[in-house]
Amino acid sequence: MHIPDGFLSTRVWGTMDVVAAPAVALLAKRAQREFDHHKVPLMGVMGAFIFAAQMINFPVGNGTSGHLVGAALLAYTLGPAAASIVMTAILATQALIFQDGGLLALGTNIFNMAIAGVWLGYLPFAMLRGGKAGVFLGGMLSLLVSASLALTELLASGVPIPPAILALSGALFVVSAVIEGAITLAVVQALERMQPGVLRQPKGLNSRTGLVLGATSAALAAAGIFVASTRPDGIESLAQRTGIWSRVTTVFRAPMADYQTTLAITPWLGRSLAGLAGLALVYVVCLVISRMLVASRPPLSAAATPREGV
Amino acid sequence: MRHVRIDRWSRGESYFHTLHAAAKLVAALTLLLCIATLSVRSLVCCAVYLMVLTVSVKAARLPVGRVLLSASAVLPFAVCFAIITALSGEPDRAAMLLIRGYLSSLTALLLISTTPMPDLLAGLEWLRAPRFLVQVMQFLYRYLLVLIEEAGAMRDAAESRAGSVRSLAVRQAAGAAGVLFVRSWGRAQAIHRAMMARGFEGHIPRFREFPLQRSDVAFTLVAAALTVGFRTVLA
Repeated sequence: MHIPDGFLSTRVWGTMDVVAAPAVALLAKRAQREFDHHKVPLMGVMGAFIFAAQMINFPVGNGTSGHLVGAALLAYTLGPAAASIVMTAILATQALIFQDGGLLALGTNIFNMAIAGVWLGYLPFAMLRGGKAGVFLGGMLSLLVSASLALTELLASGVPIPPAILALSGALFVVSAVIEGAITLAVVQALERMQPGVLRQPKGLNSRTGLVLGATSAALAAAGIFVASTRPDGIESLAQRTGIWSRVTTVFRAPMADYQTTLAITPWLGRSLAGLAGLALVYVVCLVISRMLVASRPPLSAAATPREGV
Repeated sequence: MRHVRIDRWSRGESYFHTLHAAAKLVAALTLLLCIATLSVRSLVCCAVYLMVLTVSVKAARLPVGRVLLSASAVLPFAVCFAIITALSGEPDRAAMLLIRGYLSSLTALLLISTTPMPDLLAGLEWLRAPRFLVQVMQFLYRYLLVLIEEAGAMRDAAESRAGSVRSLAVRQAAGAAGVLFVRSWGRAQAIHRAMMARGFEGHIPRFREFPLQRSDVAFTLVAAALTVGFRTVLA
């Protein structure tokens, strides 16, 4: 479920972008460490595989068909951190070239599918040490979590959804989750026959870090949305709360003060500037966190697609 | 495929095509932000944005009709939620969901139709998106159509043997997905070995400089000022 732009309220997408960006930076670092960066081609090609695999129709009964979503399958084969990065790359590609999901809503979609979907899908697999039930439950949980999160965010944004439709979508989610679980299991079994050992067997609950990460980001998101929805404007209040706001206003005092005095007739302008400043602030915070997390190299200003591949 | 067309559009030579990708990204995000915060009764502002976007599409020498039509790809989702909203007695809001969704989609489409994907990724990297992620996206984009074609070839092969693959059983479909997986994995490893053999050191070397010109900065500032200005005066 890719949420387009224009549906989420500023506080929801703002909060989710703030949560998702550092999480992606952290996961990129983790994936890089446990998967050494020379494996970049593997991750990219597996992302392309997910697109291609969605062309294969699985009969679901009644003449309808479904297709693989793949978050859980990626987690089983690449490990959850690498799978999160691949899913993030897929979602960004879908938003950019297929207009499937919005750009401002990208953080939200990444959180739903690439972080929560992947890690919670990996959880049963890790806990049941990769058994059949673990594979099935993982596929099911990943889709269920992503879809419910998307619905919750729409509700939190004030899209009025009557209870009847909520119940209906709940039922639909459960059905599609079961289908995703069954497809994931079928593909995993076929894979195990063709190429035994393709699944990365979880080393017990080595995924504790992952659990902590998942729980932390979920708590952060919940807290963020809660704080934001009790406040007039999410980003603004976040900025004020952290105290960075006062510093930002000091730095930009001159232009901001001018605007607010001369054009005070439109209260929107104050808020929009605050919003823009908040967005810039979010960007800077994400940048700083990513810088601290990811081993820095001299920035590569231009990069072309590799034409010299196979 | 729809994307092949957009990819071809993105190789044009208009003013919009020659701008730095990072400048266009920032301008597009500003416009998206303004659209996302539009309140329910700001139809004038929406109309102005639509006009500005249409004129930009025209100025970028893109086929206006087809671009406007392509942007409606967002509508199925939007219509679904608009109907729900309208049924709950808020028709104004429902209309606004549709309009905002469409305008946002058009903005993103204008960005991608005037920026080739490699440049766009370079722009993302210029804005300091995690480089590891950008590299994964480069490979994903590079092999996207290759693997889709491979899946298509597998379907053709299956159809020529079995008549129709509409009636694939779950096991057969799973087998097909499995074969595709194994082939993709094998291809990825071959690519990796080939790159190692050519001295790949974990990052793709740059082939040309892509400096941010003063005119790019000017474009971003003017575009952002106009967008915010319209939003302020009209809404």
